[in-house]
Amino acid sequence: MIELAVKKHLGDKQNSAFRLDIKFSVGEGITVLAGSSGAGKTTTLRMIAGILAPDEGFIKVGTQTYFDSSRGINLSIQMRQVGFVFQDYALFPHLTAEQNIAYGVKNSSLKREKAREMLSLFHIEPIRGQLPREMSGGEQQRVALARALASDPDIVLLDEPLSAVDVETRAKLLDEIEAVQHETAIPFIYVTHNETEAARLGTHRITLKGGSIE
Amino acid sequence: MVWESLKLSLLVVSFATVIVGVFGLALALLLAKREFWGKELLDAVLTMPLVLPPTVTGYYLIVLLGRRGLVGSYIYDLTGWTIVFTWQGAVIAAVVVALPLMIKASRASIESVNPDYEIASYTLGKSKLETYFRITLPLAKRGILAGLVLSFARALGEFGATLMIAGNIPGRTQTMPLAIYEAVAAGDNRQAQILALMLTAISILAVYMTNKISRSQIYG
Repeated sequence: MIELAVKKHLGDKQNSAFRLDIKFSVGEGITVLAGSSGAGKTTTLRMIAGILAPDEGFIKVGTQTYFDSSRGINLSIQMRQVGFVFQDYALFPHLTAEQNIAYGVKNSSLKREKAREMLSLFHIEPIRGQLPREMSGGEQQRVALARALASDPDIVLLDEPLSAVDVETRAKLLDEIEAVQHETAIPFIYVTHNETEAARLGTHRITLKGGSIE
Repeated sequence: MVWESLKLSLLVVSFATVIVGVFGLALALLLAKREFWGKELLDAVLTMPLVLPPTVTGYYLIVLLGRRGLVGSYIYDLTGWTIVFTWQGAVIAAVVVALPLMIKASRASIESVNPDYEIASYTLGKSKLETYFRITLPLAKRGILAGLVLSFARALGEFGATLMIAGNIPGRTQTMPLAIYEAVAAGDNRQAQILALMLTAISILAVYMTNKISRSQIYG
């Protein structure tokens, strides 16, 4: 369960370049956050992760309050149990697939085991020793999602995760994302501006337009 | 004279490179990652020895650390010791002139690391400090190593500031560049030639290594 009601001004105070004002509450499954670019999708995702702070409002994930301006709560990024999949994956370039996945595992004695489990979940055992630059786009995407899940998050946030892969791979990865979400039962918020992806995925759908919900 | 000055140069440069490595890296991180009042002014002050005549840098070091200096007078009153005319003075001179090279190269390299890598590390629960050591610094490795080699070379070639604060005492503060000066002044061309060739060889090697490090493609 994610409950959120936030306001955020972007740009300088005088010229109110962009004003985000949204409120939603979603449950299990995959929530698609759709809308054209500049609608505030990525900003919303970054506020949930704690990369950006809202001006006011609250963000709750499960029983945890991540942010509440009225009570002065603002958990640090590290304290929020959030898995984030970046648009360009942001895989650590100097670490192998396995090291990338193990990086965020909190219990150090379980690092190896957890990484192996993720490698097998995504069927990427053969590339476990490869650096990101040696992987295909689809492989990088799988490693990025595996890394996000390995840290046992309460929620996974995906920011246009398929924008860098070709159409064929995209369809396959969409199936995989759906299956993995089903298997782990962790709620996903999936940001996309692609109508086909939005229509295919998602238990819930929220469409943003110019900073508010359509 | 050749071996004595070579030994002393290596001693001074080893200490100076380690000190420059530690402080240069810490200052580069501070300048690259923190916003604070007077940040660019601090950068400018630290860069000064790069453009000032080394004798001016040396003069300031005497004003600061000399027996009657702003800081040096306290040290002298407490311990009866002064850094002037000691090999430690030569280390300080080498550190101050080499530091800007280390800071410039490392800061640029740290700033060029994609901030998304650091944010990704935070979302995976890692603190800022752990992220510096496991993500930022390894990714900035090339610039940091290049800065270190350049600092080593600059420290080795230091003359003016060393002469001002440490003097030119054979066996105690006479490093290779100072020994060359003395050899030429005394008309001993052979000594000067040997020392000059040694310094040139080391410097060429250092610049060659810096270029090689900067061009190497470590992580695509």
